Amino acid sequence: MRTRDTDKEKLVTQKAIEQIVQDGFQGFSMNKLAKACNISVATLYIYYKDKDDLIEKIGFEIGSRFFSSTVKDFSPDMPFEEGLWKQWQNRAAFAMANPLEVACLEVIKHSPHRDRIMASDKLSDFKEIMKRFITNALNNNELVPMSFEVFWSVAYGPLYTLLNFHREGKSMGGKPFSLTAAMMEEAFKASVKALKP
Amino acid sequence: METTQLYIFKTDIGKLCANCEVHKALDNHTGIQQWSIDSEDVDCVLRVSTTSLTAGAIIILINSLGHKCQEL
Repeated sequence: MRTRDTDKEKLVTQKAIEQIVQDGFQGFSMNKLAKACNISVATLYIYYKDKDDLIEKIGFEIGSRFFSSTVKDFSPDMPFEEGLWKQWQNRAAFAMANPLEVACLEVIKHSPHRDRIMASDKLSDFKEIMKRFITNALNNNELVPMSFEVFWSVAYGPLYTLLNFHREGKSMGGKPFSLTAAMMEEAFKASVKALKP
Repeated sequence: METTQLYIFKTDIGKLCANCEVHKALDNHTGIQQWSIDSEDVDCVLRVSTTSLTAGAIIILINSLGHKCQEL
């Protein structure tokens, strides 16, 4: 009888994330992954049906962890500025602590796997919470009405740009960069200014 | 309670269509609860969940449909 082993499963997840970030989906294969984990390909197939199944399960796992940490100490009923700042802090903390996972999510985001992962219950709960937060802010006249994509890019775009610079260790023209709390606050203030009526 | 066994095989089943003999045979087999083939993998890995079949029986079934099949 073939059984599951949670330690091995963790190793597989970790190595898969590393390989997806390094080689993208094209260069990633079940055989390569099995070799990197020092397990037989058969063992890998106990956990996952195929490469797509593996990518989706890993994407879901990272996504769930990301969303749980994003809503930590956050409520959609918070005043807009306070809630958005909490979002920035939570999102930044996750990105700083899990750079590989975030890079892997980025790869998954730009693939057809994204929709299947986002359709899961847990992740659609998250979408609901964030939608309620925005609706409350609009109702309380704390937010300028604008299309969702524009809202998102103004509200979170600056943060993600800074986090990307930080992850790469450099900004425009290869200039060395490290994100500080002061810079994050500075960017947040600019972002909030654009969003408040 | 019956226990479900999961068997993993290396095959040469490259492309699979709903009308293929292999597809029909695996779908219609009462001893098979679930199956899938990763035809993109070099080993074209077949996974079969079954409560009653042995690995040998599955190999005979796949061989009889003209395909190679070897337990991994």
